[in-house]
Amino acid sequence: MDPAEAEFLAEKELVTVIPNFSLDRIYLIGGDLGPFNPGLPVEVPLWLAVNLKQRQKCRLIPPEWMDAEKLEEIRDQERKEDTFTPMPSPYYMELTKLLLNYASDSIPKADEIRTLVKDTWDTRIAKLRLSADSFVRQQEAHAKLDNLTLMEINTTGTFLTQALDHMYKLRTNLQPGESAQSQDF
Amino acid sequence: MPSTQKPMRYGHTEGHTDVCFDDIGSCIVTCGSDGDVRIWENLDDDDPKSINVGEKAYSFALKNGRLVTAVSNNTVQIHTFPEGAPDGILTRFTTNANHVVFNRDGTKIAAGSSDFMVKVVEVTDSSQQKTFRGHDAPVLSLSFDPQDAFLTSASCDGSVRVWKISDQTCVTSWPLLQKCNDVINAKSICRLAWQPKSGKLLAVPVEKVVKLYRRETWDNQFDLSDNFITQTLSIVTWSPCGQYVAAGSVDGSIAVWNVDAQECVERMKHEKGYTICGLAWHPKGGQIAYTDTEGNLGLLENVCNRDGKKSSGKVSSAVTKDYNDLFDEDDDFLNTDLIEPRSSPRVVSNEEDDDDDDLMLASGHPRHRGAIIEDDENSLDTALMKVNSNLEKDDDNDQDGSIPVLPVSTTQRPFYDGPMPTPQQKPFQSGSTPSHLTHRFMVWNSIGIIRCYNDEQDNAIDVEFHDTSIHHATHLPNSLNHTMADLSSEAILLACESTEELASKLHCVHFSSWDSNKEWTVDMPKDEDIEAICLGQGWAACATSAMLTRVFTIGGVQKEIFSLPGPVVSMAGHGEQLVVIYHRGTGFDGDQCLGVQLIELGKKKRQVLHGNPLPLTRKSYLMWVGFSAEGTPCYVDSEGIVKMLNRGLGNTWIPVCDTREYCKGKSDHYWVIGIHENPQQLRCIPCKGARFPPTLPRPAVAILSFKLPYCQITTEKGQMEEQFWRSVVFHNHLDYLSKNGYEYDENAKNEAAKEQQELLMKLFALSCKLEREFRCVELADLMTQNAVNLAIKYASRSRKLILAQRLSEMAVEKATEMAAPEEDEEEEEDFRNHLNAGYSNSTTEWSQPRVRNLLHEQDMEDSKEADAVEEVEEIAHNTLQIFMCCFFPFSVTKAVITSSSQGRVNPFKVSANQKDPTAHSANILDNMSKFSKNTPTPNSRAVNKQKSPVIKPLMPKPKSKQALAATFFQPRPPRAGDKAVEEKEEKAENILPEIQAAPTENTENKRPKTGFQMWLEENRESILADNPDLEEADIIKEGMSRFRVLSSDERMIWTEKAKGGAAGNSAEAKKRKRPADAKNEGKEKLEEKSKEDSSLPKKRKPLDPSTNVRLSAFAFKQS
Repeated sequence: MDPAEAEFLAEKELVTVIPNFSLDRIYLIGGDLGPFNPGLPVEVPLWLAVNLKQRQKCRLIPPEWMDAEKLEEIRDQERKEDTFTPMPSPYYMELTKLLLNYASDSIPKADEIRTLVKDTWDTRIAKLRLSADSFVRQQEAHAKLDNLTLMEINTTGTFLTQALDHMYKLRTNLQPGESAQSQDF
Repeated sequence: MPSTQKPMRYGHTEGHTDVCFDDIGSCIVTCGSDGDVRIWENLDDDDPKSINVGEKAYSFALKNGRLVTAVSNNTVQIHTFPEGAPDGILTRFTTNANHVVFNRDGTKIAAGSSDFMVKVVEVTDSSQQKTFRGHDAPVLSLSFDPQDAFLTSASCDGSVRVWKISDQTCVTSWPLLQKCNDVINAKSICRLAWQPKSGKLLAVPVEKVVKLYRRETWDNQFDLSDNFITQTLSIVTWSPCGQYVAAGSVDGSIAVWNVDAQECVERMKHEKGYTICGLAWHPKGGQIAYTDTEGNLGLLENVCNRDGKKSSGKVSSAVTKDYNDLFDEDDDFLNTDLIEPRSSPRVVSNEEDDDDDDLMLASGHPRHRGAIIEDDENSLDTALMKVNSNLEKDDDNDQDGSIPVLPVSTTQRPFYDGPMPTPQQKPFQSGSTPSHLTHRFMVWNSIGIIRCYNDEQDNAIDVEFHDTSIHHATHLPNSLNHTMADLSSEAILLACESTEELASKLHCVHFSSWDSNKEWTVDMPKDEDIEAICLGQGWAACATSAMLTRVFTIGGVQKEIFSLPGPVVSMAGHGEQLVVIYHRGTGFDGDQCLGVQLIELGKKKRQVLHGNPLPLTRKSYLMWVGFSAEGTPCYVDSEGIVKMLNRGLGNTWIPVCDTREYCKGKSDHYWVIGIHENPQQLRCIPCKGARFPPTLPRPAVAILSFKLPYCQITTEKGQMEEQFWRSVVFHNHLDYLSKNGYEYDENAKNEAAKEQQELLMKLFALSCKLEREFRCVELADLMTQNAVNLAIKYASRSRKLILAQRLSEMAVEKATEMAAPEEDEEEEEDFRNHLNAGYSNSTTEWSQPRVRNLLHEQDMEDSKEADAVEEVEEIAHNTLQIFMCCFFPFSVTKAVITSSSQGRVNPFKVSANQKDPTAHSANILDNMSKFSKNTPTPNSRAVNKQKSPVIKPLMPKPKSKQALAATFFQPRPPRAGDKAVEEKEEKAENILPEIQAAPTENTENKRPKTGFQMWLEENRESILADNPDLEEADIIKEGMSRFRVLSSDERMIWTEKAKGGAAGNSAEAKKRKRPADAKNEGKEKLEEKSKEDSSLPKKRKPLDPSTNVRLSAFAFKQS
């Protein structure tokens, strides 16, 4: 799965918007949406929120966790712990990216939030790399990776599994007794 | 000079507080349960210096630059004053000290603690301690004799003791107080005091009097008392001159006595009646600072201004006394009445500052909370009537002219002990925040938001529309300083008060105007200020200080003017309705006395509410008034109770929501911005720790649901009752709209009726289960005809035969009542017949075997008596009809209505109502949804009854009646016109199979055909062949006569067949039918198709277009 697909999945996540138009309930495959009343908050999937926002048909209310103070706490917690801490949303990265790209005017302290989320992300990816490294080094058979989000898994999943495959192949092809030392892999 | 009471201000967080002046009286010092000692330059000092002395400060004493505090870590410590640097610990107890005092020269302190001990410590040398043991309970208060010989202490053991300091012996002890086990339980903290300087007298507050004891003899010299004191006095303090004694009570009264004259010279009441726990005289006299247990600080000024005026003051007070006697109680009342509001303008200005601060302060600051708690009162004060003060001025003048003595009498505030008049609330615009704010909402309603910015750089008004399709956001300069605004989908209305040069102006931006002149302005006459404005549809209105309401068209033409019975509070418009709230009179004890007028300004002008009193919660004032989106007047009071006009009950007001129930915190509120009845929504903005929201960050709207305050809402019964009545109340507007010829949503009405009947049915079932049969009948009385039928079924099914009997009697009664005005004798009989048939046969629905029996019996009869055929026929058809009513129309109408109302059919739309019809027999209650979908509302019921013959094509009805029926529903649904009726008649025979087709197999199985029907089907062709131009009804007649001619044996065969057909596969019956009616061939296929699909009801929808048309025609007749 590539990041675009992960983002696509994240677009099903519900966010709250305040529409500035009036529309009856709409019936879609994924479920019913609306009714849209001007000035009244309504929950819609992210894709619709972004679409409406781009057409200036709504104001966006950021998710509760998208708040500089809360994110700071999360980041600090993430830095403090060795394991992955639970994230406020399984699509935190995608949501932040999309919302800040398209609706930064309705989110207070947008830049700060962007930095904080990026920091958290970097910390987590670093952790992930580190643990992958030790996983390979110690030749473990399995590892437990709780609280990873889909996007995070995707950054390393394909590469890691392929790499492990290769290593496995190489390892099994190693002829015992031969001059393995001279081989450089 | 009378003393003036400055408004209370926030000092500390709630809890015990103490207060004193510093040595020279330059500042007020307080301590409180937040552990801070605060130094206030004056009462308006917004930035007092705080010294943190511990977690909680219980008491403190101040002298010679030393601040001694008793704090919660059980120590008595010194801080330097005013720097606040810690200067060591004086002494410790095993629990906290309750009171510390300095002696006269400040060399010693005495501290009394909850561990029953009293200690006297040298300030400079804390090793010099004297301990006084003897109390059997926590020590409450202490007082040093000014001559340093004695120390008095009061304790929770009820005694007041006098100790000799030198040898720590108890000189005397009086059992004066109520015993208690702890300080917090003590009724009074008994702050006693020695007369300064001489120390001749000791004042002790005991219950409602101040007892004075003479030094050395220790006898009770005299008591100081006054009628004003109604609660226990807890604190006594002497004026520095030793002439006056001030005492504070637990209910917030403060009284000052002249000790020599033993008369009360000042009386004053805490504005909120909190317990006074700190009282201090200014060292130079003239001022008393006091604190209460809620942490507030107050100040009395000009108390006993005796310097040089002592004698004259006395004289005048004596004079007043005489006059008071002369003029009796009434004058007292008059005076207080005068005085009270006169001080109020000052109150207002101060409070407004306070409010300002509250808003500016970020939450979390400890001050904030206290201030918000005060806010209740503040906003009331800010809402004071301006007009009132004007009136008062007039009154004043009058008084001056007629009774010149009275102003003199105010030197001593005459005391009036009765209900106090409430300051009248100021006029306001609904959905606006206070006008003194620099950034405020001028209005927030369902159309949009108007904000006003009024700071150094900008004075402007921002208008924003929720729905940008109404109008784009606009920015208006506010050079005229508009303070009032309203917004509708047609116009923006602004108004300002008059200034010295300019008159009060009404300014309208009529943006929906089609010409190029979008704005108009009207000046009010001189000395007339606009106080409230509102917009309706096509009109604008303003209420002025001249107690006039002026109505304008939206284009600026002046229309009606009418006088208001009192000063306006607020007004609101919606459509053609105008509601005005005004002061009917003066309220007492915190209540407002408001009246409401509701006027319709449409073509038919009339007054709906003629100045009725507006029921407000006690001690509350009006916060919001407006209309629901559907046009029902509503208002919200300061206690958060939302009330709505109940037009169904003689225009009474019904509380529909308590927003405070939804609040998390005590000081949280909901700021209402709109009310919708369908869907039931209360739109408001949650305000944390405030009554109204700030403009930034932009507040988000929340939706609350309504809840009527019915009893036992936790029980199922209570819940359903509440739901039922809520549904009734919130659909009153539909009746109102229809009565007044407005358009309204027929669907919503049906939906509501359905919901109500469903709830009644559930309640009925519940009562049935609980064996409350009488209650069942009462419930059934509220039901519509169809629901009653169901109820009867339910009752007989649950073997409550008496109940069923009663219900059917009632149903008949109801039916006759309903029928009486419209139908003639014959029809009525017919009708009753039909009803009875309905009851007996309706059992089919739930018990197949019984039906068979019944039918069998009928068939037997049938065979015996030829005439009976007709009757049975009728019964059979009536049954059929009921079934059609029950099951058929719903499924069809649903499909057709949705498709027609939406234009395009949405293939993804899944309607919750579209349940599988095959499930219907599982539970009678399930049928309700389908059944009552079609349930007519009371006034249209008769019409429906009339209609039914049309659905029954086989009914032997003369044509004239059909036509009659047609006229009945002609005016209702727009599409069910004549054409549909004609079509109906033409295709009558075709429709029947359709009707049969639409219900599922299940229904069909249960509706066995009679012998005659089968015979008729077989022989229809031949009848038609013989008489090609016969009407359907005539065919049946003809058929009947032919059937009667048949021999009884033949008839038996048909009856047998019918039974066999009913028992066997219905498909077989169909097959038999098929050859009989070639014309129906096509329909038959459809029918089969529908049968196949019956398990997948959704698929049934895409019928071929012609069927759809016919179904829709049918559906419209049904509903």
